[in-house]
Formats: sequence, C-alpha cells, structure tokens
Amino acid sequence: MKPLTTETLEKAFEIPKKPEVIEKQRLAVRYHIEDKHLVDNNRPQKFLEAMAAILKHSNYRFVLDHYIRTSAKCSRCTVQCQVYEATKDLRDIPCYRSELLLKVYRRHFTVAGTLRGRLTNDPGLTDDDIEDMARSFYDCTACRRCQNECPAGIDHGMITHLGRYILSEIGIVPRALVVSTREQLIGDSHNTSAIPVPALKDTLEFLEEEMAETKGVEVKFPLDVEGADYIFIPAVSDFLMEAETLMGNACVFHATGDSWTIGTGDFDGINYGLFYSDHVLEKVLLNMEKEVERLKIKKGIIIGECGHASRSAKFFYNNFAERFPMPVINCMEYAHDALEAGKLKFDRSIIKETVTYHDPCNIARSGWIIKQPRELIKAFIDDFVEMDKIGKDAVCCGGGGGTVSLDEIRPYRTTIGGYKKAKQITATIKEGKAHYTIGPCANCKKQLKELIEDQNIPSELVGLHDLIYRAIILSDDGVAWREPEGIF
Amino acid sequence: MENWIEFGRGPLFRLCFALMILGLIRTFAFSLFGLIGAYHRAGEKVVPWGDLIKKTFSWLIPIGRIWRARPLYSIISIIWHIGLIIVPLFLAAHVTLWKNSVGFAWFSLPQIWADNLTIVAIISALLLFIGRVSSKEARALSRKQDFWWPPLLALPFFTGYLCSNISLSANGYQVIMLIHLYSANLVMVMIPFTKVAHCVLLPLSQFVSSVGWKFPRGTGEKVMKTLGKDNMKEEIA
Repeated sequence: MKPLTTETLEKAFEIPKKPEVIEKQRLAVRYHIEDKHLVDNNRPQKFLEAMAAILKHSNYRFVLDHYIRTSAKCSRCTVQCQVYEATKDLRDIPCYRSELLLKVYRRHFTVAGTLRGRLTNDPGLTDDDIEDMARSFYDCTACRRCQNECPAGIDHGMITHLGRYILSEIGIVPRALVVSTREQLIGDSHNTSAIPVPALKDTLEFLEEEMAETKGVEVKFPLDVEGADYIFIPAVSDFLMEAETLMGNACVFHATGDSWTIGTGDFDGINYGLFYSDHVLEKVLLNMEKEVERLKIKKGIIIGECGHASRSAKFFYNNFAERFPMPVINCMEYAHDALEAGKLKFDRSIIKETVTYHDPCNIARSGWIIKQPRELIKAFIDDFVEMDKIGKDAVCCGGGGGTVSLDEIRPYRTTIGGYKKAKQITATIKEGKAHYTIGPCANCKKQLKELIEDQNIPSELVGLHDLIYRAIILSDDGVAWREPEGIF
Repeated sequence: MENWIEFGRGPLFRLCFALMILGLIRTFAFSLFGLIGAYHRAGEKVVPWGDLIKKTFSWLIPIGRIWRARPLYSIISIIWHIGLIIVPLFLAAHVTLWKNSVGFAWFSLPQIWADNLTIVAIISALLLFIGRVSSKEARALSRKQDFWWPPLLALPFFTGYLCSNISLSANGYQVIMLIHLYSANLVMVMIPFTKVAHCVLLPLSQFVSSVGWKFPRGTGEKVMKTLGKDNMKEEIA
C-alpha cells in the first residue's frame, strides 16, 4: 500500500454539493440533511436548548462531569485512531474531537464555566463550533478503539454518539441515515430498505429453491410462525444483497432443528439510532418487542451478520423492552453453540482459499464475539490467517458509525477511513493463492467490498455464513455442495 | 520570615489540606452518585463488573499497557506518578510532621531513596513538559493547565530537595522553605478543581464509561416533548 498523497487526501474530502446549498446550510460538509431548522440564525441557542433537554432527561450529565475532570490530554489516543493515522489532521485526534463537546459543557453547563464566561466576556458556543462538531462527529467511525488506550477511561465513542444526538435534534443528520430511519419508523414498509412483504416472500421462496438445488435438501425460511423458539432478524440489506449469508443462516437452523421464524412485521435489525439518536434507538427496539409479542417468541432473538444491529439489540433491547425481555443472540454465537453441541457437519475440502477474519467493532470491542467465529472457521477451513490487530483491539473497516450508508463519501471511506484496514488485509494475502476476507457485518461488508474494489486488493469479501453455506453438510449422502445446474 | 513559614506549615497547610480532601470527596461523590443513579435508572442491570474491575486495575497499575501506545511517554509518566505519590507521603521529614501534629504516623523512606526518587520525579516532570511542548499532537490537545501542571508540581519537589540537603540551601534556606510550603499548599488547593482530580476519579472511570451507555427508558420521548416537537414525524426531520 502506498502512503496517502496530498492529492488523494484532497480528493477524498472533495465537496460535491452545490455552493448555494452549502451557503444555506452553513455546513461545509457534503452529506448533512438540508433542513428548515438550519435557515434561522439561532443555531447555537438551539443547540444549547437541545443539549440542556438531553442532559435533563438522560444519564449523560454525570458522564460529562466525570470526563471534564479526568481528561488529562495525554494524547495516547493518537496512535489508536485509524482516521488520524491516515489524515494526520490534528482535528481527527479522538481527544480533540471530544473536547469540542466537553468545552461546550464546561462553558455552559458548569457553574465555574458560566462564571468564567461572564467575567471574560466569552461569547460561548458559536456557529463555527457547531460546524466543527458537525464535521468532526461524522468523520469519526465511532469504533471506540481509542477507549482501549485511554488512561482516563474516556469513551470518545459515547461523546461522538451524544454529539450526534444533539446535532440531530437541531436537524443536522446525514441524509442517508434520516431517510432510512424515516422509512423504518413512519414509512409503509417498516424497514430501512423499503422492501414490501410480498417482495420479501418472493426472495425467500427463490432462496429455498436455490438451497434445494445446491444442498439437495429442503431448507425452509419459516415466516410468521407463532410460538417459535427464535425470531431471526438480520440487517434488511441481507435480503437484497447477501443471499448466501441468509442461506447459511437457514442451513444452520436446519441443522440444529430448532424452531425459528422471520416475522413479516419486523424483519429489519438495522438501527441507525445507535449512531445518532437515543430516541430512534429506543423506537426501533420497541418495534422489535412488538414483533416478539405478536409472534409469542419463546427463547430468544437471533440477529444476523450485522455488527451494529447485534450491538443495539444485545445491549439495548432488554434495557428498553420492559414487557417482553428476551435473550439476544448473534447468529455466529448461535452457530458456535451448535458446533459445540456437535450439530454442525462440514466438508473441509470445500474452502481451499486463504481466509482472514475482520472483527466488526460493534461485536468485538466488548469482547462478546471474538472466539466463536474463529472456532467456526477452524472447523472447516485449513488456511486461516489472522490480521495483526484482532479482537477487542481490532481496527475499524472505515465505514463504522453509519458512515458506510453515505455513498457520497465513498472516496473518503475507502482512502482515509479504510486505509489501515486495507493494509491489514493486504498483509494476510499469500502470493499465488486466492483469498477471502470474512466481514460478518452488513456495514463492514459494504465498506470492505468498496475498499477492496477501490484499493485493488486481490481478495473477495464474504460473510462467515456464506462459507458455512458452502461447506455445511445437510443431506444424508454427505455432500456439502452440488453445483447448481443450468445457471451458466 | 519565620512567622510566614510557621503560618504556611500550620494554619495555611491545615486549610489547604482540608480543602483538598473535602474537594476530592465532593468530586468523587458526584461521580459515584451519578453512577449509582444511572444504574438504578437503567432498564437492564447487566454490567460486566468483572471485566471493569480488571480494566480498572490494569490502569491503576499500568505496567502492561506501556508498549501498546507511546511507550517512552508511558514509562516517563508512570515513573512520574510513582515519585509524585511516594515522596510526599513517605518522606521522613513529612512523616515526622504528621507524628508531631496528629500523634500518629507511618513508616518512612530512607533519606537516600527519597532523595533519588525526588530527582527522578523532577527529571520526569521536565521530560513530560518537554514532551508536551514538542509533540504537535499534545500541543493541539493541551489547555493552559496541561502546560503549567508539571512545572508547578515539580516546584515543591525541587525546593524540598534543596531543603533536605542543607549544603545546597545553606544560604537561602528560609526562602526556599517558604517557596516549598506555599507551592505545595497551592498544589493541594488546585487538585480538586483541575484535571489532577483524576487521582480519585480514575477508579470510577471504567464504570462511568460502561454504565453511561445504559440509556434510561423514554429519554427520547421526553427530550422531544421538552423541545416542543409533537411527534416522531417532526423529530425525524
């Protein structure tokens, strides 16, 4: 990998928006929603009102209070951030980014800050500060790797989350996120990709036929089964783009023999609230609770290969869902349990390529899903190579925190955000041998596919269940894979 | 001069010490009660206590962390903290002062150890200051207090070293002692109100960063209403 040139950096930051739109928004960032709130001149006051309201009703106040007292500005986080490593722009240092919000808190929400402000005639929060925050909080991929090396234990990811939440309350949100959320919460389809239920049914029927042909076994996608043990909720984009992942999931369910279902009332695990709004986060999860209630699910919610969907459900579902608490399981965790119970049989001869595994931040940073996928991989793949930073210390794909959904910043993501990841993947490739990168997360998949394409990395991006699908043996004759007929 | 020294050693010290202790208790209590409140408001009470305790200790004794990021800075910083904590607490002269005033005391360091540790602390403070000034990243992050804390903390160490080695301070002993006392008192008063408060807050940090994610139920709805938005349609711009 060549080092980033000034020209590449400039190109990555290019703003394709019309000058008059930028003028109207007063945000020199290319992907923020154009909103009626932004036209007035009172943006700082609106920001402070939103911040005050959030601090009043949430837990953030004591967190900020703690952080302003402990932050020692040691700059150890500089070596952790893949964005800063690529840009070398001081504004991309995690601690610098957090200070943008901490100083607003210190100035406007503490007695000492308010007094000092009055004594020194400090005007406080300005329009420029808001612009800085709008830029900075969406340059961060919210991967939370910096928290690992912060001696003061500051979670810069949480500050980014809060900063984005406040900004969203005054209408500053990337268009792609808000459009998807709107469709999911108040649209007709109730999912971020606007897939109507009949289209979902068609897709699943087609996949069932495909599985019957390639695996030689009737594997079903059960829909709306009342009283099922598990409800399966993948990222909705899997239904459109990751057919093999879904078929892999279905095959694992088939092998375990558990009763499971996909609910037509809520089949989208995507929760952009995790990235920018506590309100959206809660609403999406309460919709999930309604579906669990409707289908009388007995044992648990299984989330598909998606990092943020898994994290938002695992760590927030039971926090919000008062009436129907339910264990939340990631599909790799489920498959791993099945493997340990001896329910999965694989053909080791199917995958001959070199394989490496990318840890999605949202499931690996907390230590939740690290060993399970590796044990699954080792159960049927011989040539497995680890990247240099793994598990809790894994490097972000570069599209975290919702930024992957913003197509207009693809050059930014695949040069700056994903620079370190591209280097990592390249290092695991063996000369003359085909290579797979496993990215078991809908966000990471999209980002890594684009990264591999833009950086010309000789690797193919797959999901873990894509490979499970190919190697799992379901039929009695012991054949894992039958070449489908008549396609070519 | 004698009187000023006595004042600095007696009433002023007691005042500054009390302010430091009370200030730190207040600061600690704020974070602790905030933490307890947040935990109670959480819908789900699952917290990875074991992990957090492990993480907290790994930062309180951060030897294993040195090589993971900025190793040179980390080593100097650890040495600095060792000197900073041990010398003031276990210097024989300080221990004797405690014994004389409150009637009890604890063991003290041999003088030669205390002297060497003091020199190490002064050098590491100097290096930390140079590190902060010379690194563009650290400069970009630093506020005023980040620059003046290392020299301010080194001052009582430097003057204390001179005082305990009479041959070095024979001519100006009283002036040096005065600076030692007043700078140390100033440090104590400043501690609870500046970043040095981390000396009591650090054990809570990992818990704050974990429990902080336990968002209370209904926050979004309440925020929306407070901001005068009627429904989700208005909320999602």
